Amino acid sequence: MKLLDVSNLHASVETDDGPQPILKGLNLTVKAGEVHAIMGPNGSGKSTLANILSGRPGYTVDGGEVMLGNNNLLNLEPFERAQMGIFLAFQYPVEIPGVSNMEFLKASIDSLARARGEEQPNTANFMRTVRELAGSLDLDPAFLKRGVNEGFSGGEKKRNEIMQLLLLNPKLALLDETDSGLDIDALKVVADGVNRYRNQSNGVVLITHYQRLLDYIVPDYVHVLSNGLIIESGDKSLALELEAKGYAWLT
Amino acid sequence: MADLALPKTLLVPAGLAEGLTESGGTINDIVQDALNSPIHRERWKYTKADGFLTQLVALSKAPTIYGEQQTGVRWLRETISNPIPGLDLQQGPEAFARLCFSGEAMRLEITGSVTDPVTLIHRSNTLPVIVNLSASASLTLIEMIEGDEGQQTVWIDIGPNAKLNHSRNALNAASSSWQYASVRLQSSARYHLNNHVLGCGVRRQDLHVIMDGQGADAKLVSAGMVDNKAALDQQITLEHRQPRGHSEQTIHNIVANGGKCSFNGRIHIHDGASGTEAQLSNKNLGLGDNATINTKPELEIYNDDVSCSHGATVGTLSQEALFYLTSRGIDKAEAEALLSQGFLQQCIDGPLAETALKAMIGIRELGASL
Repeated sequence: MKLLDVSNLHASVETDDGPQPILKGLNLTVKAGEVHAIMGPNGSGKSTLANILSGRPGYTVDGGEVMLGNNNLLNLEPFERAQMGIFLAFQYPVEIPGVSNMEFLKASIDSLARARGEEQPNTANFMRTVRELAGSLDLDPAFLKRGVNEGFSGGEKKRNEIMQLLLLNPKLALLDETDSGLDIDALKVVADGVNRYRNQSNGVVLITHYQRLLDYIVPDYVHVLSNGLIIESGDKSLALELEAKGYAWLT
Repeated sequence: MADLALPKTLLVPAGLAEGLTESGGTINDIVQDALNSPIHRERWKYTKADGFLTQLVALSKAPTIYGEQQTGVRWLRETISNPIPGLDLQQGPEAFARLCFSGEAMRLEITGSVTDPVTLIHRSNTLPVIVNLSASASLTLIEMIEGDEGQQTVWIDIGPNAKLNHSRNALNAASSSWQYASVRLQSSARYHLNNHVLGCGVRRQDLHVIMDGQGADAKLVSAGMVDNKAALDQQITLEHRQPRGHSEQTIHNIVANGGKCSFNGRIHIHDGASGTEAQLSNKNLGLGDNATINTKPELEIYNDDVSCSHGATVGTLSQEALFYLTSRGIDKAEAEALLSQGFLQQCIDGPLAETALKAMIGIRELGASL
């Protein structure tokens, strides 16, 4: 079953010098149960892809289509995409002082439940679930009372993203360089979280610079993105080859 | 601009005038000059003073008090006959005039560690209040401002090593409302203010803090919401007169839909106040159409050995934060509400926090239980 279908996607980012084309006809299909790793040199459009899929402001879609199941995502607001099952783990999670993590997570889970016509979880059960999840990712449950990502280390922020992934359980997870800035222990915790999330009905798009993460989260496909296009696809051995040779032999 | 004038001639209580007439002239002339001095005019640049001056002679009654029946607390009505510590005619000529017109005041004397809070409820105009904490005393003082038109003037003197936690809610819908407070800290005294305020027809809050002893510590935290064409004008002067004082001010205001908010925060570090640490941060969030925000942090330093920071920002909701929240399925209106609430919540604390939250943003179910 096709989960995500990106076809002939053209997109540009707004800059001071006018729109700058980034994606130039990108195609990508993710089926349920699959993990796709997207690699590529700096500036190739990896993060732009994640941002366009999640609806971040500041980008313009110039052509093409993005389907999540039977829904065309491109005309939807970010919150509507999230309600349909898109989740972006941020490369740079945002700090929001004054809004506690717990409040934020409850607002999120309630919004998703409302949109799907499900019952909102009872507060006590919800708080217990969140505390257990936090513990399983080596996050001190005391952080739940603090502002969202406020004063977190880089590693804690990334683990918080993975905690949200596990809590919200989306159809499609976009992980934007979730491994950047992590030491090896944190990397294992994050990878373990992603592996717990994986199942036969959801999908993962993993954007990364380094092969190392793929030792822990084994992808079904590896794609090389260069200059706005996927120029090579393969299995996990492609990542090893890139690690050994760099990108130059492809581009 | 026409000269500001008092509504009638002052009769100054004996004792109060001590030291004030050294420069010559009658008290009435001195007050008149102070009202019209450039520095004072500047403090009233964004709010019309006339209406507040006319009201200085309005009849006042004692505020309602709770918690005065405790050991270490005395509450009495008295004729003003002694000098008031911290009284500064130049800083607050209209507050001084109000004291004279009133001729009497309520005195709250704290002589020990008082366990339960003392609460003052001000309905409309209340008599001037003088608060004394003796050495090593401690108190939680709660003030609630109620009623339509009203003026409150308070002088607080905190003795050596004494500690005052002061919480004030000014959340009433009044056509005009003025809170003046003067706080003097002696050596190693501590003062902590949590102020929560809604704009109203015209709301003015003046605060004069004098660090008058070594090692005094003051923390001022204020959250304000100025919506629907309401107005708020906050003027804070904080003077470090003695060495090794520490002061920290955090003022967050949301100004929305035609609201008008002015803030002036002046830190004055006197010669000799070495080792002073002073911080001031005023952040303003403009929402909706036609919000007006004036903010001016001021530093006046006559000493090299100090650490000082001041900053003021005026902005709107962070687009990054909005995207983060909406990317988790929270719709835009709710995300905006969460962010606004979070902005104010950073400055809402103390015993009146819950009431303030309800009045200012409508508390969230989970927020209350955390």
